[in-house]
Amino acid sequence: MKLEVYQIIVPLASLGFVFNLVRRFLKSKASWQEAALGAAFWLSVGIFALFPDAISKAIADFFGIKSNINAIIFFCLGLIFFFQYKLFFMLKKNQMAITELARKITLQQAEKEDLQS
Amino acid sequence: MMRPEQIWIVIPAYNEGPVIGQVVSKVAGSGFPNVLVIDDGSKDDTARQARLAGARVLSHPINRGAGAAAQTGLAYARRQGWNCVVQIDADGQHHPEDIHRLVEVQAQTEADIVLGSRFLDPSPGIPPTRILYNRISNVLTNTFCQRNYSDTQTGFRLLSARAIRNLRLRLDGFGYCSEMIVQAEEKGLRIAEAPIQVTYTDYSLNKGQDLVMGVTTAVDLLWKLLFYPSKMK
Repeated sequence: MKLEVYQIIVPLASLGFVFNLVRRFLKSKASWQEAALGAAFWLSVGIFALFPDAISKAIADFFGIKSNINAIIFFCLGLIFFFQYKLFFMLKKNQMAITELARKITLQQAEKEDLQS
Repeated sequence: MMRPEQIWIVIPAYNEGPVIGQVVSKVAGSGFPNVLVIDDGSKDDTARQARLAGARVLSHPINRGAGAAAQTGLAYARRQGWNCVVQIDADGQHHPEDIHRLVEVQAQTEADIVLGSRFLDPSPGIPPTRILYNRISNVLTNTFCQRNYSDTQTGFRLLSARAIRNLRLRLDGFGYCSEMIVQAEEKGLRIAEAPIQVTYTDYSLNKGQDLVMGVTTAVDLLWKLLFYPSKMK
């Protein structure tokens, strides 16, 4: 099997991301769900880079799509939705954290004022 | 029945400088001397006007939304050990005399939450767009409720000590109106409704939810209900 340059770089980068996720999990900086989901994603990217034709054909056959180019487009759309979901989730999480912080500051200030009066 | 001095009137407010003083004075004039204004990071003089009118004021350092302000009011009420809170809107659309009606209904029904409904005995002059918007919101909210409520988006609500202790609102925006009802049912709190009157002015119509906000609110609520049902409890 003749390997293109990207077929070496992408799997290596994927492995790097997986190791990073494992490290974050071991240091309790990521939950196991986050680590497992991220690792599954990066491993599938690495494997897809190694066997692009076979996988896109398998996806095309599975979904009954005639061209494997279409399969790649659908796969990419799926990825975009996945990232959109992750971004929306992160945004909501950050918004909640900001609100919680604003509330703590407000209540601390109120407590000070109550003590003074 | 609760005496007026045992009840705190909580008013979440954002950029309501032109009217907040009048709203606070009207509430006090209706026999309710305890008024708490949650200034949600206003850019104008809302906090100063509310203080001048005699309200206790808590200020968010930045704007976080009506739901966030309401939850700050509840958190403060819990810390202070208040037994009853009535929340009203800051734009002057509500009639503070109706607080008595909510208190009466609470005493009769022993409900934990009394919703002031604009549609049980509708006031003249509610704009058709508001009626439509509220009907859509009612359908959406009631889908997730055990009972049907006539006004799920009302900002006029009485909360008992049990409701104050148990509710933990997480939606920052106007979606908290629906979230409160869904969460209250989940926690076994009793909900009643009482008819209230409203007066819409050009000012209050400009302050309310528009279509874009309504859609955002609905998406926020659905997101929480479908993907994080545990967060609604």
